[in-house]
Amino acid sequence: MTKKSKDLLVGYLFLAPALLLFLVFIAEPVIASLILSFTKYNVITPSKFIGLDNFKAFFEDDRLGLVYWNTLKFVLILTPLHVVLGLLLALAVQRKIAKGLKYFYRTVFYFPVLATSAAVATAWSFMFNKEFGILNYFLSLFGIEGIPWMQSPNWVYLAVAIYSFWKFIGNAFLYYFIGLQNIPETLYEAAEIDGAGKLQRFMNITLPMLSPMLFFVLVTTLIGTTQIFDEPYLITGGGPGDASRSVNMYIYEIAFQKHQMGYASTVSISLFLAILAITALQFGFSKKWVSYDQE
Amino acid sequence: MNGEAKMAGVLTTRGIRIHTRRRTMRGYVLDGFLLLLSFLMLAPFLWMISTSLRLPQDSFSLPPAIFPTAFNVENYGQVFKQVPFTNFILNSLEISLIIVVGHIFISSMAAFAFARITFPGRNLIFIIFLAGLMIPGQVTIIPQFILISKLGLVDTHWALILPALINPLGIFMIRQMMMTISSTYDEAAYMDGASRMWVFLRVILPMVFPAVAVTSVMTFIGNWNDFFRPLIFLNTFEKMTLPLGMTVLNGTFGSGNLSAILAGVTLSLIVPLLFYMFGQKYLVEGITAGGLKI
Repeated sequence: MTKKSKDLLVGYLFLAPALLLFLVFIAEPVIASLILSFTKYNVITPSKFIGLDNFKAFFEDDRLGLVYWNTLKFVLILTPLHVVLGLLLALAVQRKIAKGLKYFYRTVFYFPVLATSAAVATAWSFMFNKEFGILNYFLSLFGIEGIPWMQSPNWVYLAVAIYSFWKFIGNAFLYYFIGLQNIPETLYEAAEIDGAGKLQRFMNITLPMLSPMLFFVLVTTLIGTTQIFDEPYLITGGGPGDASRSVNMYIYEIAFQKHQMGYASTVSISLFLAILAITALQFGFSKKWVSYDQE
Repeated sequence: MNGEAKMAGVLTTRGIRIHTRRRTMRGYVLDGFLLLLSFLMLAPFLWMISTSLRLPQDSFSLPPAIFPTAFNVENYGQVFKQVPFTNFILNSLEISLIIVVGHIFISSMAAFAFARITFPGRNLIFIIFLAGLMIPGQVTIIPQFILISKLGLVDTHWALILPALINPLGIFMIRQMMMTISSTYDEAAYMDGASRMWVFLRVILPMVFPAVAVTSVMTFIGNWNDFFRPLIFLNTFEKMTLPLGMTVLNGTFGSGNLSAILAGVTLSLIVPLLFYMFGQKYLVEGITAGGLKI
């Protein structure tokens, strides 16, 4: 056997397990989703081709506008929350403070990311309780009485934002923290000798050097919040009414509670297209501000 | 640490010394703020642990406990007595660990093919894998559910393990690191008559340890915390994972005994805590080495 054909064989042998799993669990489902969106299927009886009926239903669905609007609200609240506050926290910890204290902050901010999500979310749902919740108790000490965290369509978003900050801020924080530590100190020394002020150094060294991390956090947070499910499902239950129901919760309801696999696929494809558009936009825009050539 | 000293402006010129003094004032404010925030971040944990030790009839009563006022360990016994809590923890551990090991093995083999072997179709397949990165879970979950139910694997751990073995992100991260290794390493080994498998296991894989470690840590966290898939695939209490089991625990005690629920929550923190102690070093190293260039 020649080296070329041997490389071909060995290459595909190394690739085989991943390729097989990719075809079965990613590629095939994507195609199947597209096909399903033209059918009526409840898993038990055979699927039936119904043409564009699901798409017609999609545009006539009253709840869809609301769940998309809710998801957009989650994206608009949670993305800046993590991207900006994570950075501010990292900058505050990445100062000249004791090493032990740095480790303490890193642990305190990051540990909730690891804490079993559903467990701590359950605990938080009790903390948000209007009557006996710990949050309202401490607020009442400051004269703020009875906030209806779960009963008001507006407060419910603040509740999710507070939980999301507590649970996930450590993620953005850690990426920024590591990014900041990897900026060569010689850059700051040189800038200082040139007489650059604090703000100048931040704008001309810190931000550009950190831009790949910023971009990573931004894209992953955007994609993550667009698909938000656990937080509303476990804390707000989507309520009051549909006030905090996300698109993903709605897809779950259609597919796995009402067993309308066809229509659920149509909705999931619409969310996929939305995510694709946001991501493409981000990548297009990133060329203007993300700099990778730093070595 | 040196860099921060420089940033703080510890230089000898007069102007910068003034700068340092002003920064110290603001530094105190920031220190105070960070300490307060740390307390607020820890307070829910303190409340969870303290309340988990209260008597059931006091579990909802105010004022809430930040520090323990009672030591009713019986709540912890209730958690194991009323729901199969040991199963929840062991199932979660078993599933997460199998996924980590399988995923790392499959991903690093694919990464090796992409980074170190030249063959026709390689780049095309790599691009298709990258496109797979863009596909969100909820697009694939419905057909995956149909497939899994046709295979008769609903309500088995395989329903969670099999689809999680493939994640293009892991392949991508390990491949990126393999690309930085000079080809002289493999060539020297092949010259000595080494096989591809030997070079993969003994030469290349140890050199990309940071990428493998960070991928393992992230895979573990993701699957340990996964709630959506177990919710869809598992029905039997004994087979449930910890996140899904929490809803069972909540349903069992929700209206009567908050302390028992919080005992379960407290127990759920043990594995993440151990994992943080042993895994955070690799997480930091891996992110540092990988640079996460997307």
